[in-house]
Amino acid sequence: MLLFRGNDWLKSLSSEEKQKVTDQWMAWFRRLTDEGKAIAGNPLERESKIVSGKNRVVSDGPFAESKEAIGGYFLLDVASFDDAVVIAQECPGLPYGVQVEVRPVAAECPVASELKHQTQFANA
Amino acid sequence: MLLYRTDEWYNKLSQEELQKLINQNKAWFEGLTAQGKAKPGRALERKGAIVSGVNGHIVTDGPFAESKEAIGGYLVLDVETIEEAIAIAQSSPGLAYGGSIEVRPVAEECPLDVRARELAREEHCVTI
Repeated sequence: MLLFRGNDWLKSLSSEEKQKVTDQWMAWFRRLTDEGKAIAGNPLERESKIVSGKNRVVSDGPFAESKEAIGGYFLLDVASFDDAVVIAQECPGLPYGVQVEVRPVAAECPVASELKHQTQFANA
Repeated sequence: MLLYRTDEWYNKLSQEELQKLINQNKAWFEGLTAQGKAKPGRALERKGAIVSGVNGHIVTDGPFAESKEAIGGYLVLDVETIEEAIAIAQSSPGLAYGGSIEVRPVAEECPLDVRARELAREEHCVTI
């Protein structure tokens, strides 16, 4: 999975540059989809809420406008982690300061893996 | 979209607690799916890379698993309002143990397009 981080870089661009990056980004996603390498992808709205704690408190997302904020994602279908990194390196937002986080999708929930690990340990 | 922001809090749980939580999570997710409110969600491995730099030539390890803000997984919802998505996030069984859930509307339209249109309009106004 590719997570696109940073959503404050847009401000510094002219409308022409923005149009250019948008077109490049869309063409990139379309090509990956045609090649069967992208399964899903979505931009996310800037609006953000955080739900946390035992009391399930709702607060405004602290990450709304920052270099760390996630602006969108692509779900890829590739054979290796390295393939995903190569695709990430094609991101049209990179020259403008976007960072792409590349993360393997887990085969199973990490909580379930931890349980399995504990069980093995207990049985050993 | 729900983004789970967590560290590896589940390492602190006992086997019983883990099993209980897994069962609760499963029931929670199945309930949402049965109501047509959840599309497939996935957990992400606790390792990865960050690609940055003009040509994407900088590849570093990340994010750090111990960070409370690292994304541990995601769930795409099919609901009408952000309030409903927040209510679903609040009902997530894992919250009792730590971590937080970021709730984000999926954009109808790419924010790049929206901003380009706004700028074009501003320039049009200036011309007039």
